Amino acid sequence: MNLTLTVNGVEHSLDVPANTLLADLLRTQLRLTGTHVGCDTSQCGACTVHLDGRSVKACTVLAAQADGRAVTTIEGIGSPDDLHPMQAAFRDCHALQCGFCTPGMIMRAIELVESGAALDNRTVREALEGNICRCTGYHNIVKAVLTASDTMQEQAQ
Amino acid sequence: MSAETGIGAAVKRREDLRFITGRGTYTDDLNVPGQTYGVFLRSPYARAKINAIDAAQALQVEGALAVFTGQDTAAAGLGDLPCGWLVKSKDGSDMVSAPHPPLAVSQVNYVGEPFGLVVAESLAAAREAAELVAADFEELTPVVATAEAAQASPIHEGLEANLAYDWELGDEAATDAALAAAAHVTRLDLTNNRLIPNAIEPRAALATFDPASGEYELRTTSQNPHLERLVLSAFVQIAPEHKLRVVAPDVGGGFGSKIFVYAEETVVTWAAAKVGRPIKWTAERSESFLADAHARDHVTHAELGLDEAGRFTALKVRTTANLGAYLSLFGSSVPTFLYGTLLAGQYKTPNIHVQTHGVYTNTAPVDAYRGAGRPEATFVVERIVEAAARETGRDPAELRRLNMIEPGDFPYETPVALVYDTGNYQASLDRALQLADYGGFKQRRAASEAEGKRRGIGFSCYIEACGLAPSQLAIQLGAGVGLYESGEIRINPTGSVTVFTGSHSHGQGHETTFAQVVSDKLGVPFDDVEVVHGDTGRVEFGLGTYGSRSLAVGGSALISAADKIIAKGTRIAAHMMQAEPDNVAFEAGAFISGNQRLTLQEVAFASYVPADYPPDLEPGLSEKAFYDPENFTYPAGAHIAEVEVDEATGVVQLVNFVAVDDFGQIINPMIVDGQVHGGLAQGAGQALLEHGIYDADGQLTTGSYMDYCMPRADDVPDFTVDTTVTPCTHNPLGVKGCGEAGAIGSPAAIINAVTDALGTEDVAMPATPEQMWRKLRGL
Amino acid sequence: MEQAGEYRIPAERAVVWRSLNDPAVLARCIDGCQSMEQLADDRFAATVKARVGPVRATFDVALTLTDMRPPESYVLEAEVKGKTAGFGKGTAEVALADADDGATLLSYRVVGRVGGKLAQIGARLIDSAARKMADDFFSAFHQAVDPTTKPS
Repeated sequence: MNLTLTVNGVEHSLDVPANTLLADLLRTQLRLTGTHVGCDTSQCGACTVHLDGRSVKACTVLAAQADGRAVTTIEGIGSPDDLHPMQAAFRDCHALQCGFCTPGMIMRAIELVESGAALDNRTVREALEGNICRCTGYHNIVKAVLTASDTMQEQAQ
Repeated sequence: MSAETGIGAAVKRREDLRFITGRGTYTDDLNVPGQTYGVFLRSPYARAKINAIDAAQALQVEGALAVFTGQDTAAAGLGDLPCGWLVKSKDGSDMVSAPHPPLAVSQVNYVGEPFGLVVAESLAAAREAAELVAADFEELTPVVATAEAAQASPIHEGLEANLAYDWELGDEAATDAALAAAAHVTRLDLTNNRLIPNAIEPRAALATFDPASGEYELRTTSQNPHLERLVLSAFVQIAPEHKLRVVAPDVGGGFGSKIFVYAEETVVTWAAAKVGRPIKWTAERSESFLADAHARDHVTHAELGLDEAGRFTALKVRTTANLGAYLSLFGSSVPTFLYGTLLAGQYKTPNIHVQTHGVYTNTAPVDAYRGAGRPEATFVVERIVEAAARETGRDPAELRRLNMIEPGDFPYETPVALVYDTGNYQASLDRALQLADYGGFKQRRAASEAEGKRRGIGFSCYIEACGLAPSQLAIQLGAGVGLYESGEIRINPTGSVTVFTGSHSHGQGHETTFAQVVSDKLGVPFDDVEVVHGDTGRVEFGLGTYGSRSLAVGGSALISAADKIIAKGTRIAAHMMQAEPDNVAFEAGAFISGNQRLTLQEVAFASYVPADYPPDLEPGLSEKAFYDPENFTYPAGAHIAEVEVDEATGVVQLVNFVAVDDFGQIINPMIVDGQVHGGLAQGAGQALLEHGIYDADGQLTTGSYMDYCMPRADDVPDFTVDTTVTPCTHNPLGVKGCGEAGAIGSPAAIINAVTDALGTEDVAMPATPEQMWRKLRGL
Repeated sequence: MEQAGEYRIPAERAVVWRSLNDPAVLARCIDGCQSMEQLADDRFAATVKARVGPVRATFDVALTLTDMRPPESYVLEAEVKGKTAGFGKGTAEVALADADDGATLLSYRVVGRVGGKLAQIGARLIDSAARKMADDFFSAFHQAVDPTTKPS
């Protein structure tokens, strides 16, 4: 089937099998391999991307469902020279080790902060329930999200 | 070197920039022209005869290229997957190894065991073709339970029993005598639950074969690419080492599970030449659950004798260790040499005897996972010590202190074959008690009770043997390889530095810490040092990353190489400055003689443009070193856990965790803290959440994240971590290793807290809400 | 896996019995049934497309009827093979009894086990999936036996 979607600000018109998952479209067709696949039951959250600004697990979204919509992946939020505050906070707080869950974790965390919810250690932990990290024990991830939350709020003001 | 980037500085990781921007390169991110896709056929049965495999229909699928079975790999002469550590039974006989072909030939022995590989133009075609392979199995009765396996009828044809070995260590007669004479004996039955490692990146392999050169290239999720190459060459005999390049690109976590040489990358590499095209295979998580090496799975009875004063007189341990259906690469060593040797813990127990029965069952092979044997040993020692304190009415911290090896006792030889070089266990315990506010516990307990929650506190004073390992000792004990590490430092003509290490980083941050070490040692800017690892085509040799060995062994190799650089540089500089080499000193990146000074960069340039140069010296400034440790390193520490058990729901909340560890010198405290946090969460997972369960038919019922309970962000608290330092006495950096401590110490501390809260020793890991709920109601 | 159930079918016992042994009726009543072949008086072979949670596959089903006591009861042994999806094995005891108004009371008890992917991913879902399959089957069977009656 033919579909048109905007990924990281660039419009793509693609012809894909109807059963193509968004995660596969991003990784295989667009070669955006920053979106990772860590499980096959939609539990780990490594494939989290934004679909019209909301975080979704790209392994449970059909590419067809993204037709006419805007997708943002980890590659679209910042670059090594111009990091998003959440990316910077992850580095500053040592919130990643192997880096595999990191893109999904960052995408989920950005949505969380942008939602405007009041955040503390407990609420961040609960909000990250859908993203599994095996390396960090979450300690520094929580720290990074709270740090970035402050920065993002300051920038918004 | 600069305080911001030298040894001891919390340097931010350079590898982070690619990971946080989605620019890392993991194996599945790689694609090569002409690539095909592999899907493995896996046994749905725990034990069955393979009567026939019919691939005719599968090969009709459009895009299907080939189906390979165990008959094919056997006919091609592919060797078995070896176990690299020969353990001997107490009667002196070699362990009994069940042949482990990469693809099952005549019988499958665990659910998920691969018996075929389907290769096709696309992943979809490979999956479709795999659906159409008709395999005729004849189901056989499986053996599943650890405790009963030794007595059950043998699962492997030609083996007399399901016993791989009956191993022992220590003096049994003396231990029995001391127990008989003890004023008090504490007895405990313990189960160490089966775990499934679950690195978040599933295993993957991308293999190519170049018929023109006869060279294979395997890119795979490995913690030790050189060992992978060695095994594939020497044992499986796919290709000689000079015709096989193994690359481990960015690897998304390992925790031990990516040390081993598995069937999948083996067969994919072999098949790439057969198909004449590159083949890519990436595990689905379901496959990882079934076919990654599992961990732990011990059943143990332990007895601890105490004298009137509370001094430990003897420890006797009987363990049955489930090895799975086959011996994985290091599976045999984990419940023996990495376990029994640690049973002295931090204590002066004079008599220790341990016996381990390693048994075969129709379950996935069991091998090393973060801690590997040492968490199991710590669990035995620290649970029984805690129980002994309760039984004899002593404070658990004070009973430990009474029995601890004291700072003046080092070097200390244990009754179980190790010589601890240094430590100060009391210092860690004191600091942990302080951070945990032990004195305020009673008050906190009362406050919890008022909210319908039972609060408990638990200790774990662990020790580990890391920095694997002195080669001669390891080989004497059965290891099939030496356990040294290699390092190479190249000073490039313009003065930048390329460092090659045989150690591999898959989250540990070697690219940062190793650069810190070399930059500090050679006095060159941190940003001028690049660290290369994970590629047999670029790095000379290596034994990889496991057993918290990277810095202690791999880092030490780099120090040796740096010493050689300085020695050669000194001769060049002396010649240039017309001084005697003995009168040239190397300080902060410069060679100094009197008031003359030449930087390392200037000397390096001179070595590549040797105009004014010592006549008897080769040009160039590049040095290699192999470092073989003299002894293990002995990180140790004190962990204190506090839990609340909800009386209404049975939910155990880990409310506070203090870890005070002695890792010797610390290169990058930020990374060390991160390693501890991660280990603690894995230990909390073992204690409270995770359990690999096979049903009586050998079906894995916890085979996805829906049923295997991984620790999530809201399952763990912020951790309080600190360190005390006694530098390792026998490596140049004074480091001991920090990768496994969290996972080693924490399960015992947490279960000690849970048993304290419940007032019973009878708590199995994981302490699930259901189990707690029943215990609270006496059910 | 263990399951039992009872259904009231508005037809005479003999009719119900006959239908239970009629491959055409069975094929119509099994959701996703692609073929149903009677190999012998007491043996059937079917292919069924089914899903248990996320596991979806075409299963080869071999059915054997034993302990035939027409028109009262039989035991149905089923062997289900889904290749990469795994397998299932089960025994169903089916009994018929006269109910009021000329209807028949059908009761069954199934004991079974699953293996492979079905067990790995589907274990927690298998009971509800089996229950749904049974309900769907008997609801369709109800209609097949008495097409004038809308299933309740």
